[in-house]
Amino acid sequence: MAIASDSIRRARPLLGTFVEIEIAGACRSDMDGAIDAAFDAMAQVHRLMSFHEPDSDVSRLNREAGLHPLAVHAWTFEVLDTAIELHRRSSGLFDVTIAPALQTLGLLPRLKDRPVPAPIAASADAIELLPDHKVRFRSTDVMIDLGGIAKGFAVDRAVAALRDFGVPGGMVNAGGDLRAFGVEPRAVHIRDPRDPGRSVCRIDVADEALASTARRVELFESREPGGSAVIDPGTQRPASRLDGVTIRAPSCMIADGLTKVAMISGTDAGQLLEFYRAGALLFSDGDVQITSDWYHRVHLAG
Amino acid sequence: MSWVRYTVPAAAILSAASPAYAVRYLSIEEAQKEAFPSATHFSEVQTGRVWKAEAAGKVVGFFVFDRVVGKHLFIDYAVALTPAGAVHKVEILEYRESYGGEIRSSSWLAQFAGKTSSSALKINGDIRNIAGATLSSTHVTEGVKRILAAYGNRLR
Repeated sequence: MAIASDSIRRARPLLGTFVEIEIAGACRSDMDGAIDAAFDAMAQVHRLMSFHEPDSDVSRLNREAGLHPLAVHAWTFEVLDTAIELHRRSSGLFDVTIAPALQTLGLLPRLKDRPVPAPIAASADAIELLPDHKVRFRSTDVMIDLGGIAKGFAVDRAVAALRDFGVPGGMVNAGGDLRAFGVEPRAVHIRDPRDPGRSVCRIDVADEALASTARRVELFESREPGGSAVIDPGTQRPASRLDGVTIRAPSCMIADGLTKVAMISGTDAGQLLEFYRAGALLFSDGDVQITSDWYHRVHLAG
Repeated sequence: MSWVRYTVPAAAILSAASPAYAVRYLSIEEAQKEAFPSATHFSEVQTGRVWKAEAAGKVVGFFVFDRVVGKHLFIDYAVALTPAGAVHKVEILEYRESYGGEIRSSSWLAQFAGKTSSSALKINGDIRNIAGATLSSTHVTEGVKRILAAYGNRLR
């Protein structure tokens, strides 16, 4: 039997944020190997799905998938599949083809030798998934960004890698998109979206994922307070209904994706949350609204 | 799905612990060993900043310690470089964040002076995990670029 040692906790800069992994309950050499494998899996997701890396699947798709079908990695295919389902179930509110609007707002860089395409009408068939992990776009004007879902997927891959190494419990936190596994609950503090220096509540997380998003995206350099990186496809402008949301879901990819929908539709997202067995915390003007299945596990400050 | 609404009372917001957040992941020595497990000897090339890792008299890489200070951030990190000067690993050693401008005042910074690996700093020690909007790692990314520019070709 392996000798259990203390927990270990590591952090690396990945996915444009700080990724922290904390694990416990396995022998030290296994945990070191597991941590490396988990960070490697996340780096792989970044290489495949970054809008910024010219060789990523996402960049290849944006260049060529409007012209002919293109084979992508199984992970990219899985994320696209989930994104398309979320698009359909959210009546188009979750939309990975929002990239041109993000470029127009300066939230994504413009590509060399390519003007920003005019926004296209949101459509369920903008992205076509074909056999053998091939993908085709409806037109050359379709441009995707998986930034709204890939970070959550990376967290899920890291957890899978840790479990493959036999690690019984731990947590992966990618700048607020996090997932705990194992029996022991972990306390997570949620920042006040209007004042990130304060904790609004504590949530005990066990074997589930949490993802958060807020209007105030510049935590450290205040440029334009109140701006949001979540774009409403209906208006092509940042969502402004809520100050922030935190979503609980079985997987971090779903939690990550649902934060975008909830930022736009607020309490109207109830049915969608139920379908994905998810719960939500919505912040607006000093009010916190919590889904009824979850409120008993959310400990509000004060 | 039904919803339960709370109004967070202003007083509660004020009394809530400010989640100034700090974690120490690794000491410099621990990070050196993890970056270069085969190394038997680390020699200081530049005091407190650059080390050469050697195994059986052969250079296996370089270890560069750096610190970035942002408006609300204070991060110690290390870049392990291969003998050829490429990035082998970037590891965060210590992470501190705070709000209200303390980080810019010299007295706040002074509390870290002379800190040893045994004196792990804990502000509100029970706060271990924070979720919220994405934390920017831009400063570290820029720091790594700077290190590569400064040392990538110079250390041999």
